[in-house]
Amino acid sequence: MKREDSTILNKYGKDPGFKVPENYFDDFNKKMAAMLPDIEITPVDIKPTMWQRIKPLAYLAAMFAGVWCMMTVFNHFNGVSNVNSVGAVAEKLHSDSRNLDEFIMSGSVSDYDILNYEDSVAMSNEDGSIDEY
Amino acid sequence: MAAREKYDEAQVVEQLHDPKQCRTAFGKVIEHYSSQLYWQIRRMVIDHDDANDVLQNTFMKAWTNIDNFRGDAKLSTWLYKIAINESITFVNKKKVMNQLSIDDDESFLVNQLESDEWFDGDQAQINLQKAIAALPEKQRLVFNLRYYDEMKYDEMSEILGTSEGALKASYHHAVKKIEQFLGETD
Repeated sequence: MKREDSTILNKYGKDPGFKVPENYFDDFNKKMAAMLPDIEITPVDIKPTMWQRIKPLAYLAAMFAGVWCMMTVFNHFNGVSNVNSVGAVAEKLHSDSRNLDEFIMSGSVSDYDILNYEDSVAMSNEDGSIDEY
Repeated sequence: MAAREKYDEAQVVEQLHDPKQCRTAFGKVIEHYSSQLYWQIRRMVIDHDDANDVLQNTFMKAWTNIDNFRGDAKLSTWLYKIAINESITFVNKKKVMNQLSIDDDESFLVNQLESDEWFDGDQAQINLQKAIAALPEKQRLVFNLRYYDEMKYDEMSEILGTSEGALKASYHHAVKKIEQFLGETD
């Protein structure tokens, strides 16, 4: 993207033409340091910034988030069929027993059927036919 | 020449608040910032001797107010603020001495540039300095910080206390005015 100051930059460059005496900055630094008056400094603890304080927690949170993401991705590609099949079987078993209960509770097996069943068991016992089994 | 010690700002800021180490630490601050502050001041006041005086005042003010610096902002931001305020105060005083109004632009500063011992630019550079000096104070500051120092707008915003959007607009206007000024001069 073209800089908006490119016209000035191309024509005039960045050197304003100012210069300083030789060793000016070295001399200035020494002179200035020697010139500083004695002052009283109150010792203080510099408070760390908010970011500096929460940085370890943020990094920890990011690490856990990363681990969670990795586990999710790993499960998705490798373990999803196993986990789901176990769940499906459990659900099916639960569903079957629920259906059986419902079948009994709905009155599909009547008292008459139960009595017939008990009679047939008693008769079988008298014949001794059960024992043959 | 002895190798200069590596400048660690966090460590220096800590030392500045330790009575036993503060003077040494401030020496490091002077060494690290004198050049960049000088050039910023020089572009504002133009004359080398004036820039030297303003730079001294800047460090003196920083040193005597070091207790007020709590490390909430960057040290460079704090020093730039002082340097800019000192430059503006100096230029306004000079205007009064030259019997000019505070609202007048700073073109008078550039008039002596041709005969300045510490200027080796050509006529084109003098024209550019005249164009910059003709800008309103804020646009001049923004232009100098952006054009010469390539300072980021967010950093500039902290120093000048102005929104980034307003600074971008100031820079845009400054560039247009300088182009117009130079177009009329050529």
